[in-house]
Amino acid sequence: MKGYINGKEVEFNENDTILQTARAHGHFIPTLCALTCLNHTPGTCRVCLVDTKKKGGPEHQIVTSCDTPMAEGMEVLTRTRLVRERQRLQVELLLADHNQDCASCIRHGDCELQDVAQFVGLEQTHYNYPHFYRGRTKEISSPAIIRDMSKCIRCLRCVEVCREVQKTDVLVFTDKGLTTEIGIKDSLALGSSNCVSCGQCTLVCPVGALAARDDTEEVVDYLYDPEIVTVFQVAPAVRVALGEEFHMLSGESVEAKIISAIRKIGGDVILDTNFSADLTIMEEGTELLDRIKNGGTLPMMTSCSPGWINFVEKNYPELIPHLSSAKSPQQMFGAIAKSFLAEKMGINPRNMRVVSIMPCTAKKEEAKRPEMTQNGKPDVDVVLTTREFSRLLKREGVWLADLPDSVYDNPWMGDYTGAAVIFGATGGVMEAALRTLYAVVNGKELDKIDIKAVRGLENFREAEIDLGGDYGKVKVGMATGLKAARNVLEKIKTGEADKYLFIEVMACPGGCISGGGQPRIKGEYQYNKEARQQGLYTIDANAPVRQSHNNPMIKKIYEDFLGEPLSHKSHRLLHTSYTDRKRKVKHSIKEIWEEITAESII
Amino acid sequence: MSKVIFGVWDGEVIDNRDKRMFEIEDSPRFDNFVEFNPGNPIKAFFGWKGFFIFDGGVNLLDAAMLYITRAAKESCGACTPCRVGTNIIKQKLADIINGVAGVESLDELELLAEHVRTTSLCGLGQTATVALQKMLTYFRQELEAEIRDIANYKRQEAYSYVTAPCIEACPAKVEVPRYIDYIQDGKLTHSVSVILQKYPMAETCGRVCVRFCEFACRRNLVDEPVGIKLLKRFVAEREKYISDNWFDQDLIADKKPDDLKVAIIGTGPAGINAAYHLLLKGYSVDIFEAHSEPGGMASVGIPNYRLPSDVLHKEIGIVETLGGKIYYNQRMGKDFTLTDLKKRGYKAFFLGIGAGTGKMIGIPGEQRSMKGYKSGINFLLYINHYYLNIGLDVDLGNKMVIVGGGNVAMDCARSALRMGSEEVHLVYRRSKDEMPADHEEIEAAEKEGVIFHFLTHPVQIVSKDNQVTGLKLIKMELGEPDAGGRRSAKPVDGSEYTMDCDFIIPAIGQRVDHSFLSPNDGIELNKWGLIDAEPHTLETTQKGVFAGGDCTTGPKTLIEAMALGMKAAKSIDDYLTHGRVLFDPSERMSELIKDIEKDDTDYLAVPVRATKRIIADEIDPEVRKKIFEEVEKNITVEQAYEEASRCLRCYRVSLAITEK
Repeated sequence: MKGYINGKEVEFNENDTILQTARAHGHFIPTLCALTCLNHTPGTCRVCLVDTKKKGGPEHQIVTSCDTPMAEGMEVLTRTRLVRERQRLQVELLLADHNQDCASCIRHGDCELQDVAQFVGLEQTHYNYPHFYRGRTKEISSPAIIRDMSKCIRCLRCVEVCREVQKTDVLVFTDKGLTTEIGIKDSLALGSSNCVSCGQCTLVCPVGALAARDDTEEVVDYLYDPEIVTVFQVAPAVRVALGEEFHMLSGESVEAKIISAIRKIGGDVILDTNFSADLTIMEEGTELLDRIKNGGTLPMMTSCSPGWINFVEKNYPELIPHLSSAKSPQQMFGAIAKSFLAEKMGINPRNMRVVSIMPCTAKKEEAKRPEMTQNGKPDVDVVLTTREFSRLLKREGVWLADLPDSVYDNPWMGDYTGAAVIFGATGGVMEAALRTLYAVVNGKELDKIDIKAVRGLENFREAEIDLGGDYGKVKVGMATGLKAARNVLEKIKTGEADKYLFIEVMACPGGCISGGGQPRIKGEYQYNKEARQQGLYTIDANAPVRQSHNNPMIKKIYEDFLGEPLSHKSHRLLHTSYTDRKRKVKHSIKEIWEEITAESII
Repeated sequence: MSKVIFGVWDGEVIDNRDKRMFEIEDSPRFDNFVEFNPGNPIKAFFGWKGFFIFDGGVNLLDAAMLYITRAAKESCGACTPCRVGTNIIKQKLADIINGVAGVESLDELELLAEHVRTTSLCGLGQTATVALQKMLTYFRQELEAEIRDIANYKRQEAYSYVTAPCIEACPAKVEVPRYIDYIQDGKLTHSVSVILQKYPMAETCGRVCVRFCEFACRRNLVDEPVGIKLLKRFVAEREKYISDNWFDQDLIADKKPDDLKVAIIGTGPAGINAAYHLLLKGYSVDIFEAHSEPGGMASVGIPNYRLPSDVLHKEIGIVETLGGKIYYNQRMGKDFTLTDLKKRGYKAFFLGIGAGTGKMIGIPGEQRSMKGYKSGINFLLYINHYYLNIGLDVDLGNKMVIVGGGNVAMDCARSALRMGSEEVHLVYRRSKDEMPADHEEIEAAEKEGVIFHFLTHPVQIVSKDNQVTGLKLIKMELGEPDAGGRRSAKPVDGSEYTMDCDFIIPAIGQRVDHSFLSPNDGIELNKWGLIDAEPHTLETTQKGVFAGGDCTTGPKTLIEAMALGMKAAKSIDDYLTHGRVLFDPSERMSELIKDIEKDDTDYLAVPVRATKRIIADEIDPEVRKKIFEEVEKNITVEQAYEEASRCLRCYRVSLAITEK
């Protein structure tokens, strides 16, 4: 079919929208609510206005391009004075309903609404009615995510991700008119709802309505307190994404610059979560062999992703026995830092503050779990997401890209292997575990260290691996994203998943590289996934040591401190337990009727 | 008859401002617009396509303010222009009314009105500013005059009403877009609760409703109607409002004195729904049922493969949860009379006795008592009750002929297949296009192997030793359409032939069983043999006795019966509280809208992209024709979200300015 956009002939298929056709032919139309990579065009912002004239018809009509189909012979104009005026008016209306406290906004300098206002040439806003948004919810109770509904523009991208990508389905559209907001199912607080704090919603929010809690202030306090010794850990996936915040290439490892940066802002002990990822492999791998030997619950499932742990506790508590009892690398790090490291370095653990730099919003909540403490003090004191860490550096006047390279130099926890760094990509924990399991079972290393069969980005993958010894060929599974995770759990319930020995699950699609705390790209979702994944595998390929059990400092810590995997001390410091947190909501028709009567037309 | 002084509707401008009242021609469209309720004239009407002014004293600014206030309140809040634009218009109008702004702001108002109308996402925003915009375009001098004289601004009495074509089409006025919205919003509990506000049989209705709403759905102007019934079943089946005990007697806030007892006759959809609403209003309710199980025609008349009986039973159970008592095997006219009930202290009565006696064809050789002969409704009762529930054996012979073209005929034919009849024939006097049965039902019957004979009519039943052996038939041809638009059918001379068969089921309609009534009861029948009930109040010829459902309308649908049950509950409440049935302004608005709309042609202002309607999975016809298991499966949550997003939300605001 043929039509015209700005006088140029365009081809399109039946039922294609004007927006699709325009984009396919390189005509830019501003959008705000759309997230086209997820096929999400709810048509709520109404900014994408164009002028249309039907074939043979004299009448011009202003329509939204995202939900209006092209028609044979239709003439579309995207940039006339009328179109610009009406787009401008639409953005003015959006702003009239938006808390424009831009300087204090978490999205300062990174706001899609500001971009749209720029594009339509908005010079002045005529409508200023603070009571339009003043009464809306601002929820700061969750340790991971804050909701400021005075900023919400109702694009529904968060609902789409929560519902369609993660299938957690926690976010709902509530109320009506000006008081409409994105709420939590059954009107709960985020923390007590089925929200797992994966933070995927914060990656797509175009404004400052949904964001990770900002804890940079607390870190600044510690950095400038002479009594306090700060111990930093940096998670694997951070190093291949942080550079994006400083205009560097995605996937490029900035590990060496991160070390310099932490040093520059005054961090005392600079370490890597990779050390404890190696430790995790030792504990988790040994636990798996122990379960096989002693008839424990199988398939065993990984436990390093806190969003995933929340998901099981809140939705499938009956399957908790399948979860490995090993703490996540972040928490193992904290527990070891405040015991072993404090002892070795002669620091009073009470004066030590462990600061994590994580790609993850759920890690903030994990660090606050009551079981993750020693002597009443948390193992990890504060967790910054990759985005917050970038903000901290900018607040401290540090531009990462300009820094020289540096290396880790701690003699007790300062070494890691290639196996640890791939934890940041889906399939990485599995690959790292298999490398060590094979060595434990066969007394020799794998011929080919790369186990490509477990790599990939599909939401669910399975592989058959020859483990040798008495085990022979075993089946393992890798699920990424909670939609796939849910399917796996359903299969465990029916017994279909009995064929697997070990299943790796990451709450975020793609693994930590796409974590809820990672840098985001405006108007896109999971845009840099492949580059970041490649970055991690490159670090592994070039690492001098690539199996966790060969990390010399890991050998040393077992010799000097822990004894052996699953020892009494390991259990106390490195393992944990989980709780049934399934929500039981008792509905009464009386309450629901009271609520809906307030909203109904009668 | 009302006279329009000025106004605009759907692009047509009426301007009689230069005439005096007696010079203005009457407009038949407004026959019904003289008064809102007795003694209360309608002065103006504002709607989704414009407005009409019937009285010179109407204040347009105030009307615009009232209208936009309601629209802003109803805005769902999803799209920018409707959510924000309507509220800014409201602010601007308030500024004018408060004397802060003047005529200079009319241009801005016009731009905002145009913007909201043309760029809003759904029907509400697209219509919310039409009346205002028309005023500004065609009658701006009137507004300017009002602004100059703003000191004399006065508030007016008005009634506003928000609805949508699907809601208006539904006899029970279920707020369809609202429960679809709640699905989209992710609030399934709220969705089913919208339906439960109207009747307890949400899951039942989600399976068997005839969907007046879908025929009215404006999505028909684009592609196919929204799968409203599928969505209703989806939420009703998914949300466990019965097994999770959402209902309890705490719900009843305003318990009425114990002596205000109401008796309901019949546990069909009308009786159960009347009981439900009366119980919710706090009355004690006793229900009398002639059979040994509840449900009336919903139980007897609907086969299991369309409505599993446990679904119906558990939904009727809600009425018992709310404190209603059902007395079984209590047949009025045999076990008790209305007069007996009055003596027992009941203060009001609802007759929902149905129309459960099958009509005979009225041809030679036809006798109710012959073997191999059962009326359609009796046949369904036999299968659903005696065979499926009690386990009695039935002999249906090998070759069956069903006479009729309605849903009961389809139910009989498809049930007969499931009972193992080798050949099931269906004869109907007109062609397939004229068949009154649901299109889906006809198609399902064809798929399952029912043999249709269109343009065929029975003339005589052949029997031997009181056993049916054949049916003599005649070919028919269609004539010209009659006054009602239906084409008459007349026999073709000499085309008679005989079809051998051993079972005949006439399914050509039902009538009220008059044995329920005793002469002393004082309940009069109308010329069709139905109980005579006043259509607005449902009151019969006996004070305090109300009636509704098939017994007042003849055989109709589940949703119509439930709607009448609900209406009766309102009437009975009014009667027991005030001694008379009160005026219902919503019902009146509904009538006015119907009048306004009757000459309108509908169209979509903005082009809409075509999307496919979700189709529920079905059991394979080859398998299902042998079993009474439910044919249609429920849809998934993903399908529900997708289908819900097809709703155009054709909400619209109407406003009547009245004298008082």
